[in-house]
Amino acid sequence: EGGMGTVKQSDDFTLTGSLPSARAHRRFCELLPQEHRSVEESLQARVSLEQILSLPELKANPFKERICKVFSTSPSRDSLSFEDFLDLLSVFSDTATPDIKSHYAFRIFDFDDDGTLNREDLSQLVNCLTGESEDTRLSASEMKQLIDNILEESDIDRDGTINLSEFQHVISRSPDFASFTV
Amino acid sequence: MQRQWSVQAPGEPEAEPGGEELCEQEMKRLCLSQHPVRVLPYAMMDKRFIRQLREPEGVKTSCWQQWRRRRQTAGRRLGEAARRLTRGCGLWEGALYEIGGLFGTGIQSYFTFLRFLLLLNLLTLLLTSSFVLLPLVWLRPPDPGPALNFTLQCPGSGHLPQTGVSKFNNLLWNVFTGRAFNNTYLFYGAYRAGPESSSTYSIRLAYLLSPLACLLLCFCGILRRMVKGLPQKMFLGQDYRSPLSAKVFSSWDFCIRGQEAATIKRHEISNEFKMELEEGRHLLLLQQQTRAHRACHLLTYLRVNILIGLLVVGAISAIFWATKYSQDNKEESLFLLLQYLPPGVIALVNFLGPLLFVFLVQLENYPPNTEVNLTLIWCVVLKLASLGMFSFSLGQTVLCIGRNKTSCESYGYNACDYQCWENSVGEELYKLSIFNFLLTVAFAFLVSLPRRMLVERFSGRFWVWLDREEFLVPKNVLDIVEGQTVTWMGLFYCPLLPLLNSIFIFLTFYIKKYTLLRNSRASPRRFRASSSIFFFQLVLLLGLLLAAVPLGYVVSSIRSSWDCGLFANYSAPWQVVPELVALWLPPPSQRILYYLGSHAFSFPLLILLSLVLTVCISQSQASSRAIRRLRKQLVWQVQEKWHLVDDLSRLLAEPGSGDSLGPESPVSRGSRPRSFCPGFPCPGSPGPRPRKPGPSLEDPAGLRGVSVPAHRFRFPSGSEL
Repeated sequence: EGGMGTVKQSDDFTLTGSLPSARAHRRFCELLPQEHRSVEESLQARVSLEQILSLPELKANPFKERICKVFSTSPSRDSLSFEDFLDLLSVFSDTATPDIKSHYAFRIFDFDDDGTLNREDLSQLVNCLTGESEDTRLSASEMKQLIDNILEESDIDRDGTINLSEFQHVISRSPDFASFTV
Repeated sequence: MQRQWSVQAPGEPEAEPGGEELCEQEMKRLCLSQHPVRVLPYAMMDKRFIRQLREPEGVKTSCWQQWRRRRQTAGRRLGEAARRLTRGCGLWEGALYEIGGLFGTGIQSYFTFLRFLLLLNLLTLLLTSSFVLLPLVWLRPPDPGPALNFTLQCPGSGHLPQTGVSKFNNLLWNVFTGRAFNNTYLFYGAYRAGPESSSTYSIRLAYLLSPLACLLLCFCGILRRMVKGLPQKMFLGQDYRSPLSAKVFSSWDFCIRGQEAATIKRHEISNEFKMELEEGRHLLLLQQQTRAHRACHLLTYLRVNILIGLLVVGAISAIFWATKYSQDNKEESLFLLLQYLPPGVIALVNFLGPLLFVFLVQLENYPPNTEVNLTLIWCVVLKLASLGMFSFSLGQTVLCIGRNKTSCESYGYNACDYQCWENSVGEELYKLSIFNFLLTVAFAFLVSLPRRMLVERFSGRFWVWLDREEFLVPKNVLDIVEGQTVTWMGLFYCPLLPLLNSIFIFLTFYIKKYTLLRNSRASPRRFRASSSIFFFQLVLLLGLLLAAVPLGYVVSSIRSSWDCGLFANYSAPWQVVPELVALWLPPPSQRILYYLGSHAFSFPLLILLSLVLTVCISQSQASSRAIRRLRKQLVWQVQEKWHLVDDLSRLLAEPGSGDSLGPESPVSRGSRPRSFCPGFPCPGSPGPRPRKPGPSLEDPAGLRGVSVPAHRFRFPSGSEL
């Protein structure tokens, strides 16, 4: 009883919108082994990264590892609890504000977790987008030209990296960003 | 949520005292801020902690606060429900989700557009039926009696207007041509009303104003959606280039769920980046061209456009002759074919035209973006021009616009050939609408389906080259916009045409979905969702304007039929309005209305609008100046920070205290966001990680062209700011 009450209360903390917490809880329980699926245990249990990565919504996503790392609250950042799962759904729902989405997008794209997007982050980002196969990879000179263009357009304070406010500034001008929804 | 760490000399220990102080400051700020907890970008355990800090559990929240919170939750739920309603009550949500997952948001936007048009049509229908049909059925006004008996002086003996021409009394044929519905509420002719009086509901006014009101509402709705999808240009004096950085950050479509779709998306993204880079290089080359080269370039540009323009002119004159021929030869034995000749010619022209355009444009070797845009623009021009020419040639035959025919002189319209010309025009538009829909169905089941089956069955070289049909979003959008434009054109003559169009759109959704999922392959050409919203709404808006112009002309200056409809005794339908104004309103209000409608009012209105426009423009110019200033100031501040760090590290290094690790750029340390948490490291915190060295001092990135004397503190001169 207390368990489901806690689950329903999570509605106040999330922006899941059309997917209420109870349904999210059911999805989460499907990932747990059979014997741990009671309400109390599921709220405390953690699901390993491999299982989350097998979700159909994330399977084809090139950023799936980064997504899991960003939302994980465990010390070694390799497992997700139910609340982390709710956080994930909340940010990716269509009722989340662009502010929150851009904040988390920034953290997902920040591959080395240093708080800014430097050249290595950007080049890793582009490689994720274009894939690893021969005919889609960008050559070194193309990559350099692309990153130079990006920094020229978005790095307002000219320090060679893109920080959160610059990122949010760029994103706010792009009406495409609503596709950051699962 | 940035936190600026205090600048630290490299010798000092790790963050602990400063970090805790910052945590406290941050906690204080979060407690005091009014933002609801759910919009804070923290993990849930942090959010719970913040909420506990804001409202400790022991303290009872006052009734006022509880009530306020309940009200906020209710308001939020109401807002979400309203948003769902405007997006279509969740109609087809599952199908749209599936399409988006398999094909991306570019193709999904076409289906969302279909839903939007369905809503527009249903709204129009609701307006018309509630203001015109329901009162008509309820009030049941008396029939004005048989029409005035007058003899028509028409050339040719025994020439009776529109009698028994239909040799085929086939019911199906009558349905397709609209004759079966001649005396129903589908067409203008069946509406009747008694003379106007000051106390009854005026059906005439409702009938007149409802198309105009519908067009106005649709105009506002389209404009609103268009502005939302407007690509925001980079201003501030830079050349307009599509912001590549925004493309990079928002190009992955997180809705994609399948592996093949992901692979296709990767190819698309890679192609787009390569294309953009190539265009950038091309642009650089172009700017280095000599003037002679540029003139030559312009000439080739003009050449292909003039050629295509000539083709378009030829196409629409073909439509003109086809319509004229069909109207002039209504009693021929080839009657069947001639009934559908104008729609057939329009369809043929719009089928061959784009193929020719693509071929011609590709001969010129433009960059791919330009090719796509040019072809698209000409297709839109062709589509709208063919509809415009169709309505003009109808006007010529029925109303003698632009030519002098004696039959029109006496009655203002071609009374010899058309007893009830509004019905004839309505029938033509009705036929066009049905023909377009039948064509869609025919293409889906008689072209795409066999093509897919043949390609799957055979494996010769021809079949491999032919492959399945490509689902081209622009072409499908233009088709549906054409249907909508025809519906808008026909609002006055055929008030229930939106009902028909709604049914057609509903069926088109399922047909196109079937075609997409079974018989098509994904197009390698990318069509971005954002620019497509803008493009769709722009084309729809052009169609609306195209439909509004003839309607305005007919309503204000053309004489209605003597014999049928609501405006039989008026010189133009708009004359109902002055009559009703005189009947209903007291004289002072009448004078005010007349003044508002007169020419003299337009001068103060114009002056007022110019004032408002001037203020807006000057505001935006001032804002852009301020933005430029602020940008320069930001750059200067960052430079100043570096100089301070240099100076500080130099000063601290001098007394010989240990190993100075070399000054690190303050920015790489200072702008790390750290989500606080009570105790253990949280997501986003740097954690025990080896710090990457900041950008080296020899080439501080971004300070190109500005020489930085490394250990000198420099005030900027006034010209820099």
